[in-house]
Amino acid sequence: MQPEDKEALQISRRTVIASATLVPVAALTAAAQAPKTSLSASERQTLEAFVDRLVPKDELGPGAVECGAANYIDLALADALAAEKGTFVEGLAAVDAFARKQYDTPFTQLTPEKKDAVLTEIDEGRATGFANARAFFARVRRLTLEGMFSDPYYGGNKNFAGWDLIRYPGARLAVAPEDQKMSTPPKPLHQSAYGSNFNHGH
Amino acid sequence: MAISLKPVDVAVIGLGAAGGVAVLPLARAGLKIAGIEAGGWMDARSFRPDEIHNNVRGLVTSVPKTKREVPTVRDSPSSVARRVGNHPMMNAIGGTSIHYWAQSWRLKPWDFNTRSEAQKRYGANSIPAGSTLEDWPVTYDELEPYYDRVEYEVGVSGKAGNLQGKIDPAGNIFEGPRQREYPMPPLRGTEFTERMAEAARGLGWHPFRPPAAINTQTYQGRPGCAYHGFCGAGGCHIGAKNSTAVTTIPAAVKTKNLAIFDHAQVIRIVSGADGRVTGVSYLKDGKEYFQPARVVLLGSYTYENSRLLLLSKSKAYPNGLTNNHGQVGRHYFAHWGTQGGGAVVALFPFDINVFYGLPAQGTTVDDFGDDNYDHTGLGFIGGTSMHVHTELHAIEAAAMNTFGRAPGWGAKWKAFVRENAARWVSAYLQTSTFPYETTFLDLDPETRDPLGDPVCRVTTGPRENERRSVEYAQRKMEEWFRAAGAIEVMKAPPTGPALSTHAYGGTRMGDNRETNVVDRWGFSHEAPNLGIVGASVMGTSGARNPTLTVQALAWRTAEHLVKSWKSISA
Repeated sequence: MQPEDKEALQISRRTVIASATLVPVAALTAAAQAPKTSLSASERQTLEAFVDRLVPKDELGPGAVECGAANYIDLALADALAAEKGTFVEGLAAVDAFARKQYDTPFTQLTPEKKDAVLTEIDEGRATGFANARAFFARVRRLTLEGMFSDPYYGGNKNFAGWDLIRYPGARLAVAPEDQKMSTPPKPLHQSAYGSNFNHGH
Repeated sequence: MAISLKPVDVAVIGLGAAGGVAVLPLARAGLKIAGIEAGGWMDARSFRPDEIHNNVRGLVTSVPKTKREVPTVRDSPSSVARRVGNHPMMNAIGGTSIHYWAQSWRLKPWDFNTRSEAQKRYGANSIPAGSTLEDWPVTYDELEPYYDRVEYEVGVSGKAGNLQGKIDPAGNIFEGPRQREYPMPPLRGTEFTERMAEAARGLGWHPFRPPAAINTQTYQGRPGCAYHGFCGAGGCHIGAKNSTAVTTIPAAVKTKNLAIFDHAQVIRIVSGADGRVTGVSYLKDGKEYFQPARVVLLGSYTYENSRLLLLSKSKAYPNGLTNNHGQVGRHYFAHWGTQGGGAVVALFPFDINVFYGLPAQGTTVDDFGDDNYDHTGLGFIGGTSMHVHTELHAIEAAAMNTFGRAPGWGAKWKAFVRENAARWVSAYLQTSTFPYETTFLDLDPETRDPLGDPVCRVTTGPRENERRSVEYAQRKMEEWFRAAGAIEVMKAPPTGPALSTHAYGGTRMGDNRETNVVDRWGFSHEAPNLGIVGASVMGTSGARNPTLTVQALAWRTAEHLVKSWKSISA
């Protein structure tokens, strides 16, 4: 490593250590207001039951619900993803309607096995009552991943459980050569880029 | 009524990777420049280590004007073009150089003479059917001094592989001769990228750490890279990525000869009855302005360069500016390879830790690039550079391919990603791509922007030469991954690109005015005081990222303007 290189790296590393928040608070005034959710209680329950089957809690650790994935989706549909809220809510209603049609029971009250059977029908495009069952399933799955593995600022990845699950070592502003080793990965950094004051809904 | 402004010597449209470089030699020569840019200055503090912000929602790469003008795409001249999501055509001071990967390659000598070299080596029939491929009017040797200049002015890190003919296996042994070493050493490797290099050497190949417009030590007062893993689709929070917003543009501003008009959307280039351009019309804060200029340099993105010319009709140019030979929008192409669906993804039986770093940090193999190997009997010309790199974000990591080893959700999926999200990587392949008769840009007859102007329509199509070329490279890539210990390799069928960040042509450079829009210096064959900069002038892609070539050409066009000021501006 060049001497100058080392110096530059240390400057930026000091900057990281000195700041509890990686993103300046001034950049956040618009986003710092109390978070709004978008789903009704029953829609939220259907969504939670859905994502709980996508990534269940088990001996390997928390699942999607415990990670706050449904919370992430609920917040995003009120904000950045507001344009797709209508389609999304229709999809949730179709999940419940399809469960009632198959088993005469609301989706949330089905056994795990029956929930999985319903979700498989949706995933594979056989379920009725959807504008596009496969697309809706893929969208819920994608948003569940976003909720589990994004910066907790957005309301998911609670307690950094998502990042810990896949050994993602956290967002840093500077990374040393030893942090890029294969055999000895860095110690996980449990810190939001936005500091602790902006964890939506936790 | 448009508000008419004080005349300037040169109006530059777009202060991105190309226009942002061209302004510097002009400003140093004392020419008065109006830099007209649809975006504004981006604050380095807004560049965040946040995958949702940068990569999922595209809040650095995609700004409102861009979203309103996304081109439409169709896969043949007989099908209907559709809008396909967003495109990171950037509007900002610095343009796409703010969020690009900063891989800063020179093309090979072969890329400039592909037509004649291929015919010489493989016969007259080796040129792909329907291709409009021509040799460039410029050779590698003629462009070399400009590559050198930009590498030092902008700041490129790397290792020479051919220093005045002396071959050094630490660099790319296949590159053309360069007059001096890079101004900075290359980005560091990691345990994984070095493992890949070792595997390539074991196969008898020649791996190296590729060049990047990223500081590896303090350069021009800005620090070296912090390798933090949010480089692609994000700006650099410490200014270590050498976008024109932190290099050539501030240097030009310092001369006091560059006035920047930001958030100013150019709507037409105006021309007179004599066929010369007279200036530029733009909108800013809801008002229309006319900026008179003795010379106009067009430097927006490839799609917008053709579109703006086609929209700028006049008595002298009834079919669009500098389009009296019907060449604007022709000879369009975009990189096949990973950007064209031809992914190669590998799974290793151990953690590889590619989360941090940056896309320019990695190991490249060029043994199968361009014409670096004998193509006899292969059924295609051109080749592919293969690059394995770092920077993998958490959502992207978890959204991994399961290689048929697990279902897509549920407890088994969870166990699979828990084990494997830190164990996979995707290669970056870039394949030589050529222009074709049926691949072009024009104005969409249906889709318009909010001003009522048609958007750009992109017509692409399947290409047998390129498909074979990518598939050949994918097999080599699989061999490389397996040699490094991969237990699974997935190869996706190449389909060709739709919209691309590596888009070329539309205003091709060439001596023949019947088949090219600009001459060997980048000036219009028809409107003598109109210059064009950007990949829209390039006639071949090479097997590598376009930006350094774009910048070397932009510097050369600007220098030519300075040297020929009297004849061009008269």
